[in-house]
This record gives sequence, C-alpha cells and structure tokens, in this order.
Amino acid sequence: MEVKEPKRKFPLIGIISGMISVASHGLKKPITVQYPEQKPYTPERFRFRISLKLDDCVGCTLCEQVCPNGSIKMESLNRENPRNKRKIYPDVNFGTCTVCRNCEEICPTTAIYLTHEFETSRTRNSFLYSPTELTMKEEDVKK
Amino acid sequence: MNLLYRLFLILRFLGHDLGYALSYIIESIILILFVSISLIIMIYSFRKYMARVQMRIGPNRVGRFGSLQLIADALKLAGKEVIFPKERDDLPYKVAPFLVFFGLILSFAFLPYGDLAWFGNLTITYSSVSIIFIFAIIAIMPIGEVLAGISSRNKYALMGSLRAVAKDISFEIPMMLSVIAIIMMASARTPTALNFQSVVATEILPYGILEPLGLIVFFIAMVARASYSPFDMGESDSELVSGYSTEYTGMRFGIFYMGLFGSIFLGSIIVSLLYLGGFNGPYSGYVGFIWLMIKATILVIISFTVWLTMPRIRIDKLVNSGWKYLLPISFINLVLAGVLTLGFGW
Repeated sequence: MEVKEPKRKFPLIGIISGMISVASHGLKKPITVQYPEQKPYTPERFRFRISLKLDDCVGCTLCEQVCPNGSIKMESLNRENPRNKRKIYPDVNFGTCTVCRNCEEICPTTAIYLTHEFETSRTRNSFLYSPTELTMKEEDVKK
Repeated sequence: MNLLYRLFLILRFLGHDLGYALSYIIESIILILFVSISLIIMIYSFRKYMARVQMRIGPNRVGRFGSLQLIADALKLAGKEVIFPKERDDLPYKVAPFLVFFGLILSFAFLPYGDLAWFGNLTITYSSVSIIFIFAIIAIMPIGEVLAGISSRNKYALMGSLRAVAKDISFEIPMMLSVIAIIMMASARTPTALNFQSVVATEILPYGILEPLGLIVFFIAMVARASYSPFDMGESDSELVSGYSTEYTGMRFGIFYMGLFGSIFLGSIIVSLLYLGGFNGPYSGYVGFIWLMIKATILVIISFTVWLTMPRIRIDKLVNSGWKYLLPISFINLVLAGVLTLGFGW
C-alpha cells in the first residue's frame, strides 16, 4: 500500500499552534500529589489495615484457616477473657497479606476487621503485628 | 547619565585615575552580579515553567517554593569531585568552559541598557563599532565548544562539537545579513550606524515592524546560536551522551549550563534591542532599562516555549534550513530594506 504524503501547509502555522498548546499547558494546575504532606484521595469503602478487638475474639482459628497466604497465625497471649478459654489470638504478617477480607467475612464475632488506614510501610523489614499491636492505631505501633 | 560617572562622583576624593579605576571595577562587579542573578532567576523560572507544561510542580523543597534550589545545585556542583579524562589535551580542556563564559560576560559589557532613574546606564564601556564588536565576541563562544569537544578525547564529544560547528556556520551568515539590513536602514539617520546605542536611539518605528522577515530570521539564528532544542546539535543528549560537555564534571559542567542560559538571555536582549525598540518607550529617560527588560523577558518566555515545544531536527535538515531557506530570506530582507531606505526614505 502506498503511503500518501501529507499535504504541505505553510510551515510556521504548525509550529505556532504547537507553541500555543504548550504555553496553554503552562497555565494548568499540576496533577502531582505531594504525598507525605498531602494525602491521596481514597474512597470511603477503601479498607487496608487489619485491626482486632481483643474482648470479642473467641480464638476459633477460623481466620487462620481461611487466610489464603498463611498470613495469620494464632499466638497465645496471657490475657483474661472468659470467651477465649484457650487464650489464642491472631497474629498478622502484612508482608504477605493481600487484603482479601476473608478473615473479616468469616469472623463469627467481627472481632477481626479492616480499617481505612493504609500507611503500613516500614523501614525495618518486619511486617509482623502481634495481637496487642493489632488493637492499636498505626501511629502508635510505629512509636 | 552613566552609572560609571555616578560611581566616579562618589569616589571623586580618590583623584581622577584611582577614582575611575575603582568605579570601573565596581561597575564590572555590578554587571557580573546582574548577569548572574538574571541567570539564576531564568534557570529557576525555566524549571518551573517546564514543570507546569508537564503538569508537575517543579522544584519546591529548598527554600520557599524551591527558590533556593539553584544555589543548592551550584553548591552541589562545586563540591563534586573533578574528574579529568586521562588522555585529554590539558590546556584547551581546562580553558574551554571559561572561554564560553567570559565571552558571554564580555558581550554584556557593551550592550546599551537604557537609563534607570538616578542610576543611569549600566553599559560599562562604549565603542563606536559596538555592533561589530558584540557579534565578534559572540563568535568566540563556539570556539570554546569546539575546544571542549576536541580536547576531551571522546568520540561523542568530538561529534557533538562538529555538529555544533556545522550549525553555527550555517546560521551565522543569515544572522549577520539581517543585522546588515538594520545597519543599512540606520545609516540613513545616523552617521554612527555601527554603534548600538545610536542605532536604537534614532529609530522611528521598531525595526521588527519595518522588516518582519529580518526579525524571524534573526530570532531563529539566535535560537540556533544559543543551541537549545530544536537546534541542540552540540548536545544531542539522546544520541551523543551529552555532546561536547560529556567529559566535564563539577563546576566546569555548571559553567557550560550557565553559558546556555546566558546565551538565551543575551540573544533575547539583542533581539529586543535591534528589532523591538529596546529601551525606547514611554518615559524611556527614566525607565528605559525596565522597558528593555520587559521586552527581553517576553522573548525569553517565547524561547522557553520554543525549547519545550520542538524536538531536535535532523542534522541535514538543519543545514538545509540554514542555507536553503534562511539565507535567501535574509537576502530578500536586505533588498526590501534597501527599497524602504532609498525609495521611501524610512
């Protein structure tokens, strides 16, 4: 197939129209989000970080069984709770969690649930959260 | 009134010789400061403008709105280790960046800046042939690029400098021809038509209105002279690593970078002086300098827009556009200028 040559126009017109469109971009607002100071928009139903209510947890190990990546392990914690006789509570590794929300769905007492927080990045290579750390907010855990 | 004479009046108590010597030195320092500060403002505003065109924010960490970013960059460059290539040609390699920069600073000393209230004119020294002098100094700057390319002993640097020479030669002649057209028209009004000051001061209409072809040719030639996109043959950063400045590190590289922006500023001032009326305007006896700076700023913004809009053109197309289009256009411009001067007496 033969490629047609484009119609030759007066050479300056294309250059000037290109310059005008470049200059008009100079008046637009930047779309960059300055992340640590300026939080990005997250939808209302967005969920990421797993939290735990120690009083509600009955130690049924369903969350451990349903977790597809084995991120949740049960850990014994010496704490008086009449509903949790075996004294075992979930322990979450965020390094492998894919936020499938199966644990929240299967939990019979809604003790384990996901929150709106998403800043779980660490400088040290440890994403393990003990049951007491899961009850705290993310800022307190980092301290 | 001249700034030099103002300084001399202050330093009169030192006697004639010492007073003038000191006031020359002080005025030179003022000029270097003026050029450096304008370069810093230009580089900062270019980075901000480029960021806005690309819908980014640009420098915003150092100082308020990133205004101290350039000073931080300069400190970083000055603190870097200077690495010399092993098989360099020593003297040209070390001299080349300074040749570019001193050529730039020297040409600012001869430009007529117009008056600014009490301070007067910033021009350091006058010459009756200052137009020829300035274009001679501008012609020195490519020699620095060539020396840098040849003495680095690097194939990319050599190719970059050869391309820069090809570009400079093909745009030098149209540039000078369009200047000759202005000198022709000015010679009808003033006996010293080679003096920048008198050429600009005696015009009736800005020469850009009388010879728009010359304005276009001269502006394109100044874009090519300053060697930014679409004529950044010397640098060609996507093919030749960084062109003639490949082997340069630290502050010497920074001087090349400053030289690029300085050429844009110098080109904008010369275009606004020759074609847009320069310091002429309402109340030019008091604010002529500000008129010149306003015109130069508009031209600098247009230059930045050209830089950001266009890709680099191929080397053969570049040489073609210099010899086959700009040269005939500048000849036509020369003939039209002659017709206007002799036939209509403008």
